[in-house]
Amino acid sequence: MFKDLDPVLHSQLRLAVVSLLVSVNEAEFTFLKEKTEATAGNLSVQIQKLKEAGYIEVEKKFKDNYPQTICKITPTGVKAFEKYVKDIQLYINIKK
Amino acid sequence: MEDKDITPNQSMLIIEAMINTAKNKLADDGFLLIFWGWLVFVSALVNYVLFSMNIVWGFLVWPILMPLGGIFTWIYTAQQNKKEQVKTYVGKYLGYLWTGFGIAMGLAVLSLGVYGIKSSYFCLMLLYGFVTFVSGGLLEFKALRIGGILSFVIAAGSVFAPEKEQLLFLSASILCSYIVPGHLLRNKFKSEQNV
Repeated sequence: MFKDLDPVLHSQLRLAVVSLLVSVNEAEFTFLKEKTEATAGNLSVQIQKLKEAGYIEVEKKFKDNYPQTICKITPTGVKAFEKYVKDIQLYINIKK
Repeated sequence: MEDKDITPNQSMLIIEAMINTAKNKLADDGFLLIFWGWLVFVSALVNYVLFSMNIVWGFLVWPILMPLGGIFTWIYTAQQNKKEQVKTYVGKYLGYLWTGFGIAMGLAVLSLGVYGIKSSYFCLMLLYGFVTFVSGGLLEFKALRIGGILSFVIAAGSVFAPEKEQLLFLSASILCSYIVPGHLLRNKFKSEQNV
C-alpha cells in the first residue's frame, strides 16, 4: 500500500545529517555534532553508514595539526533525499 | 539525538528543523565591504584634494594603499576560511563572484594608464555596482541591491563630469555600494549571531 521508505534515511540521526548537508555545501563533523546534538561515537557510526550507501563523501584532513572530518552530500544522496521526501509526503497524505 | 525509528510525521519535523538550522545564518558579515569601502573612499578623496592643490604625485595613494588592502584581504580571508565549520552554497557562489570581480578590477586598474581616468573610473563604478547588486541577490539583502543600482546611476552620471570630478563620483559610488550596505549587513549579521 505504501512505498517502502529508504531504510538508510529512515532513521532519526542519519536523516538529520542528510537534511543538514542538503542545505549547505559541506560541513565539518563538529558542526554536524553540534546541530544534531548526537554523541561523537554514534554520529561517526551513522556517517559511516551514509558513506557506505554512497549518500555522502567524507574527507579527512588536518587543520592546525588537528584532524578534521569534512562531510559533503553526493548527487546520489540528493536524489535519495528527494525521493524520501516524496515518499513520506505520499504516506502522510494517504494517512490523512 | 539518538538513532531510532521514526514515523513519517517525525521525519518531516526533523527535515524542517535541520534545514532551518542550516539556512538561517547570513553568509557574509560585511567586514570586507566596510574595509574596502572606507579604503577606496578615503583614497579617492585624498587624491581629489591633492589633485585640486596641483600636487602631481597625488595618484600614488592608489598604488600604495590598494596592494596593501589586497594583502590584508588575502590574509583575512585565509584566516576566516580556517575558522569556518561549514561552507554554504551561497558562500561558495559569493567566493566565485568576488574572485572574478577582483580579477576584473585588477585588469580595469591596469587599463588606467592606457585609457586614462575617465573611462577606467567609469568601468570601476560599473563593477562596484554589478558585484554588490548580485551579492545583494544571493544574500537576499535589499540594501546591497539598491547600492548596486545607485552605483550604476552614479557611473552613468560620471560620463558628463570632468576628469578631476570623477574622483568624487567614485567616492559617491563606493559610499552607496560598499560603505552604507556594508554597515547595514554587519548590523544584521551581528543581530543574527545574538539570536
